[in-house]
Amino acid sequence: MSTLTVQQMLNSERLIMRAPQASDLQAYQAYCASPRSSFVGGPFDTAKAFEKFTAMAGHWIVRGFGRYVMLKDGIAIGHVGPLCMDESVAPEFTWTLWDGAYEGQGYATEAASTVWQHLTNDCQWKEMVIRIVPDNTKSCRIAERLGAILTDEAAPVWYPDSVTYRLYAGAA
Amino acid sequence: MTTTTIHIPTLETERLILRAHTLADFDAIAGFYASDRSKFVGGPMSAELAWRNMSQEAGHWVLQGFGRWILEEKATGKTVGMVGLWYPAGFPERELGYDLYEGATGKGYATEAATAARAYAYDVLGWTTVISLIAKDNAASIAVATRMGAKADGTFPHERFGETIIMRHPSPEGLS
Repeated sequence: MSTLTVQQMLNSERLIMRAPQASDLQAYQAYCASPRSSFVGGPFDTAKAFEKFTAMAGHWIVRGFGRYVMLKDGIAIGHVGPLCMDESVAPEFTWTLWDGAYEGQGYATEAASTVWQHLTNDCQWKEMVIRIVPDNTKSCRIAERLGAILTDEAAPVWYPDSVTYRLYAGAA
Repeated sequence: MTTTTIHIPTLETERLILRAHTLADFDAIAGFYASDRSKFVGGPMSAELAWRNMSQEAGHWVLQGFGRWILEEKATGKTVGMVGLWYPAGFPERELGYDLYEGATGKGYATEAATAARAYAYDVLGWTTVISLIAKDNAASIAVATRMGAKADGTFPHERFGETIIMRHPSPEGLS
């Protein structure tokens, strides 16, 4: 992982991505309470959602990078970006749309691709891991569109039904 | 639009520095949460959960504008605990919390740091009251709150800590 500065705000054609803020919490809690969070172990109550969101925000402070909140016309619609729990392995890349109304329009792909380009082009990151439960076919499709390669690596204990993709700089 | 820069202030007491979390603190934090000393605050827990916990502590500053500080011992530079202001969703009101790590107890550090954090809450943030939520069997922690003038003011069933005692600190007027 490089020490080159990861920007706290990125722009794409239709979206702004920036580090989490207090004003995003309500939308995130609504997502956590909805069946949409079932792919990542939810639904979660407001207290658990608060904890999860503080962890997302604090990751930026502790590591100097983290997951961004995606904004469409000023509305927080999801999160996207790198997560690193263990420095000895490649960071994980995640993306989530919080509200189904924003699905099917390419927002997650646009956001993930913008973040990946920044990390590889500007920050010289080389590799990331993507874990998805195979039922989440839309998310698998995004990983493939980014150029990620499906591996046969075993699922981690904390995400037992997931498959692992690897994304390398220069792919696609 | 601009990004929000989170300013985590540094406080200083006679023997301690209260400062933002850094990656270098993780071993001390994970050590505390792996030990039996963390049994009153949701532990013991794995290193992975301790990592999440550290992120949450830092991120609390982003969401609430206040939070807890790492305690650094001036004489040695060692990370000896975490003290500060805490108000996650689900808490009954704003809290002053303190954890001391292995080898840092018995020196009055919790009282020294918590007194500085309480002064910050009252003098800088303008709070008029603050509580400490303490597991009912955590006699050492209750003693610290009592030494600071706090008095029992009911109980609160905490999801992970179990039954806690609400120790209410003196108001700003009560301290002056």
